[in-house]
Amino acid sequence: MYKYVKHLNYPVSITKKDLKMAKLLLTQLGGANGELGASLRYFCQKFEMPDEKGKSLLNDIATEELGHCEMISTMISQLTKGATITELKENGLECIYTEHGKGIYPSDSFGNPFTVTYFAVTGDILADLSEDMAAEQKARAIYENLINLTTDKDILGVLLFLRQREIVHFNRFKELYKYYKEKGLE
Amino acid sequence: MLFDNVNWNPTTGFQISEFESMIQPSNSKFLSPEEGFLRGNLIKEEYDAYKNMTFLKLKPENEREQLLFKVMAYCFAINDLNLYLDVHPEDEEALNLFKKYAKESMKLESEYSDKYGPLTLKEIQGTQFKWIENPWPWDKVGGTNYV
Repeated sequence: MYKYVKHLNYPVSITKKDLKMAKLLLTQLGGANGELGASLRYFCQKFEMPDEKGKSLLNDIATEELGHCEMISTMISQLTKGATITELKENGLECIYTEHGKGIYPSDSFGNPFTVTYFAVTGDILADLSEDMAAEQKARAIYENLINLTTDKDILGVLLFLRQREIVHFNRFKELYKYYKEKGLE
Repeated sequence: MLFDNVNWNPTTGFQISEFESMIQPSNSKFLSPEEGFLRGNLIKEEYDAYKNMTFLKLKPENEREQLLFKVMAYCFAINDLNLYLDVHPEDEEALNLFKKYAKESMKLESEYSDKYGPLTLKEIQGTQFKWIENPWPWDKVGGTNYV
């Protein structure tokens, strides 16, 4: 059961329109290393976790990641607020506009729609947790690429926060992996 | 503006400023809810800055934003302790902090919802269904930033 809380995980308050950045950020919603994939990956994998630690950690990180989907979508929404057709064209958003208007559709920056083929559920806890650790590192790397592409502090503040969360999640997954390995659980 | 941009420089980042009221005892491995929230990481030793960029110091502009900042900071702290306790349920310090922050968080949330409207459906009071009232977290209304 999910219950909604009417605030974001971290504040998003972007004042400057930036359509290019909005397009680039889209990949962290619906791209290969994005937040939606992360959330669904852990959500689906949790059912095969062998004990309390695994079930709760995957469940709880999946939940947080869903909140991050909301943050990224909020950034895109604010970055595109009031954009004209000319501006959309100038910034290479006309194809996305054709399909989705100004709605937010989970895809990568090229417009490729989100797909569950971005993640695996193997039923093998060490394989799944190894993927989870890699996923957190990849998401961290993408956030760093995005950080390098902007100088807007309103965007940077949020990206630095989200990047740091990837580090925290990686550490927890690593601890869990080590625990299972030592315990001989597979 | 929510962000204090006085010391912000895109190449050098934001220098960590004073957190006088936010200091956790130095022997704790956890930061205070407010500082942990700003950093995105409650665990002191695990914080890992990118290049020389650290984090933004959020600057709430009015009483409402100030209160919501605190609500969010405690919500963050609870979540980070939650993840830590999932893997380290035997950690007494983490559990005690979790209980303390959970209590504080409930207090803050009910103070907020009494003044400004519900954050969760359970907080609906009075004769109006205030849940549907704007703003939603992704909205920015009338110059006020709903953080």
